[in-house]
Formats: sequence, structure tokens, C-alpha cells
Amino acid sequence: MIELQHLTKRYDDTLAVDDLSFNVEPGHVTGFLGPNGAGKSTTLRLILGLDAPTSGQALINGRRYASLSKPMFEVGALLDAGAVHGGRSAYNHLLCLATTNGIGATRVADVLEQVGLRDVARKRVAGFSLGMKQRLGIAAALLGDPGVLLFDEPVNGLDPDGVRWIRDLMRSLAAEGRTVLLSSHLMSEMALTAERIVVLGRGRLVAHSTVAELTARYPSLEDAYMALTASSVQFGAAR
Amino acid sequence: MRAALLAEWLKLRSVTSTWRAMGAAALMAVLGVVWTIYVSGLADERGTLQAAAPEQGFLPLLQMSLTVLGVLAITSEYATGMIRASLTVVPRRGTLLLAKAVVVGLATLTAGHVILLVTYSASRLIADNHRLGFNETSLTDDVPMLLAAGISVTALALVGLGLGVATRSTAGAITSVVALLFILPGVVGYLPAPWNTRAASLLLPNLVPQLVGDRLSSRLGDGLLPPWAALLALLAYPATALGAGFILLKRRDV
Repeated sequence: MIELQHLTKRYDDTLAVDDLSFNVEPGHVTGFLGPNGAGKSTTLRLILGLDAPTSGQALINGRRYASLSKPMFEVGALLDAGAVHGGRSAYNHLLCLATTNGIGATRVADVLEQVGLRDVARKRVAGFSLGMKQRLGIAAALLGDPGVLLFDEPVNGLDPDGVRWIRDLMRSLAAEGRTVLLSSHLMSEMALTAERIVVLGRGRLVAHSTVAELTARYPSLEDAYMALTASSVQFGAAR
Repeated sequence: MRAALLAEWLKLRSVTSTWRAMGAAALMAVLGVVWTIYVSGLADERGTLQAAAPEQGFLPLLQMSLTVLGVLAITSEYATGMIRASLTVVPRRGTLLLAKAVVVGLATLTAGHVILLVTYSASRLIADNHRLGFNETSLTDDVPMLLAAGISVTALALVGLGLGVATRSTAGAITSVVALLFILPGVVGYLPAPWNTRAASLLLPNLVPQLVGDRLSSRLGDGLLPPWAALLALLAYPATALGAGFILLKRRDV
């Protein structure tokens, strides 16, 4: 369970996140949508305590992230698949993270197997494609078998097989009773994966609804998204 | 804390840059051997001479190489974005920095002293019965100097770590250390006496001779600090850099 209470983040004169309040419930995949610059990634960083909110707070299972002593057992996060030291092997990268929370080498081998990177575990990450790095980032998030999972655009760069694998993984993680927050720009994919949708525009909450409600009101999730964010696109091409 | 230490130790071991920095540092022993062979050859022609001791002459190479190791321990994380993952799994920022400082400190203290001792022993063995100046004192007389040099290496590596956290930039941190180690002593040398000696006494590279009661240089003469004060000053450098790094790390968004 993730709770955002009047979460606000101001950078100099721009409000990146503007009085955001919503809950992400366990048991289903919640899609996190919004145009570029809407504040999705900032919100995720605020939840993880990487950025400090200007006001308001984000709670995970009722607690602030920074107060968790072994956070990997409660929260798994993939923010940026490219944010890995390329000189380390996939195995060592995961073991470095796992060790901080007392997670052992056996679990590292397990998650590498689970995400399909077993055969390249000893290879340097620098040689990985974006899709392989996404798999590595997902493996890192799964290390502590946490009840809350945050994924920032994990589908980018994956092959069709990988896209389907992520969809099934997200749905099965949610079906096990976990809280799954998934950001993506791929509307068709989101329509297949998520049950609930949170839409941001210019740092504000534009919609918080179920996919079923949105697709009942609009021809498709994509149409719903276009209509909801029409006034908050900041970086749109001329048409 | 134990888990964070183990993880930082694994991080340090699992990148090639660490081993390259160690390799560059170990070049000191090779250069020391070459230097000793060269001056031994000169001594064959001239009888006796006063040559610089290789463990002192090549000390800046050791200091700089292991400082780069200290800098990269944190700036490689900022450069790659790995710092976000690191602070997600260890949300207490002080714990992360302390673990890094302990690991960098122990690794450089060990490597620095081993390389110094190898350089020292190899040069004395090769010098044999030649009278080169630097090999005419006993090991017991030279131990304080070796320890002081080793401590200065670790102090600089931790200054590098602290500046790396503060600047979040490899180039920025290394440039700052180069200024501290090579540029400032040159600038201070141009100050009118007695201010040149006074200011030079406080500079990091000059704390090593003061720690064992040696003079700074023939031009600057004796330093102002007694050994205990020189040791305090040598520890104050990393303490200040790490303190500044900690405050910034604690306050800033990642």
C-alpha cells in the first residue's frame, strides 16, 4: 500500500509535483500515466526518499521510506535501467545490492534465473541491450521479495517476448497480493496489464480510475488518456 | 552497518578501475627499482652520493593513484546513476558514506603500506653496499617516515572520497586534489618569508615530513608544526572533506 498525502515538490519556480494525494492499493496493477514532464519520475523518487518533498508526504505501508532499515524486503523499485555501473557483471551488480540488506548469493542466482539472465550473469553489464538492462533492473527489484513494487517504464527496449513476459509478471505479482505501480507510455500495453490507472498532468492528479471505467466512457484507453491530458501536454509537437 | 560494509567492499572489488588504480600505485615499486639501479650505477663511478629515497620521491604517484580510487568509489556511482539504487537499498545516507569511507580507508591503508614497504625493501636490497645516502639509515629509523607516508595516502584517498561526494564529479574531485597536492604548494612557495614557510606548514604534502620532524625543504626550512600537530592537521583534511560531503549528501536530492 502506497499513500501520497498532499505530496508537493517545487524546483525553483516550477512545481514538479503539485499537492498530489492518492493511494495505490495492493492486489492489482496500477498504471501510472502522464505526458513527459508530468512529474511521474519525480513522484517515484519522492516515494523512495531520494528527493525530499517540499511539503506533504509519501508513506509505504504507513511508514516513510527513509525509516525502513531493510527496505528491499518491503519495496522493490526500477527507476532507470541504464543506471548501472557497466564494468560490473550482472551477478556482482545484484550481489552488491543484495548484500546491503543481508540477502545472499542463492537469491541472486534465483532472480537472475527468473528474469532470464542466468546465461549472461557473469558478463559485464556494459554489453547489455536496453531490454537486458530492464530485466536486470526488474531482478534487482525482486531480490527482497517485496510487497510493494515500483517500475518506471520497464517495457522500453524489450522484445515482444519480453513485453509479454513483463505483462504476465506484473499481473502475477499483483495477483499474489502485492502493490504494483507501473509507469508506461504504451497505452495498448497498459490496457492489457493494469486494472487501475492514475493519470498526472503538470504535476497534478488528472484522473484516478479503473481501466474498465475509462474504456466504458471512451473508445479506448488511449483515447481516454488523450482527452484527459489534452490541456496538460507541455512538450507536444506542432500539428 | 556490517551489511553495508560488506556491500561496499564488494563494490570496490568488482570494478576494474579499482585494480587499475592499484596497478598505477604499484608502479611506485617498479620506478623505485629503476631509480635505485640508476643511482647505484652513478655511485659506481663517483663513490658516494646523496640520492632521494624512492619511497619519498615517488610518493606523489602512490598518493594520486589511490586518491583516484577514493574519488571513483563515489563519483562512478553519480556518473552511472547507480547512486539512486545504492540510496534506495541503504536509505540512511550517513551509513552509506561511512561504509564507503571505512572500506576506502582500510583498502588504501593496506595497499599504501604494502607498496611503500615493497618499494623500500626492494631499493635497499638492490642498493646493496653502495653508499646512496638514502640507504645509510636503519629500518627502525625509517619506520616513522614509512608510516607517515602511508597515513598521508589514506588521508588523501578519503579527501578524494569526501570531495567526490561534495562535487558529484570525477573531474571536479580529482582537480581539487591535484590543486591541494601540487598547485597550492607551488603558489605558497612564492609568498614572502616567513609567510611561505608558515602557510606551507599547513599544506597536506608538507605534513608528512613534519610528522617525523624533518624539514620541509632546503628552501622553506623547518615547518612550524610539532609531530602531534602535524598528525592532527593530516586527519583534519579528510575529516573536513568527508564532513562537507556528508552534509551535502544529507541535504541534497539525489
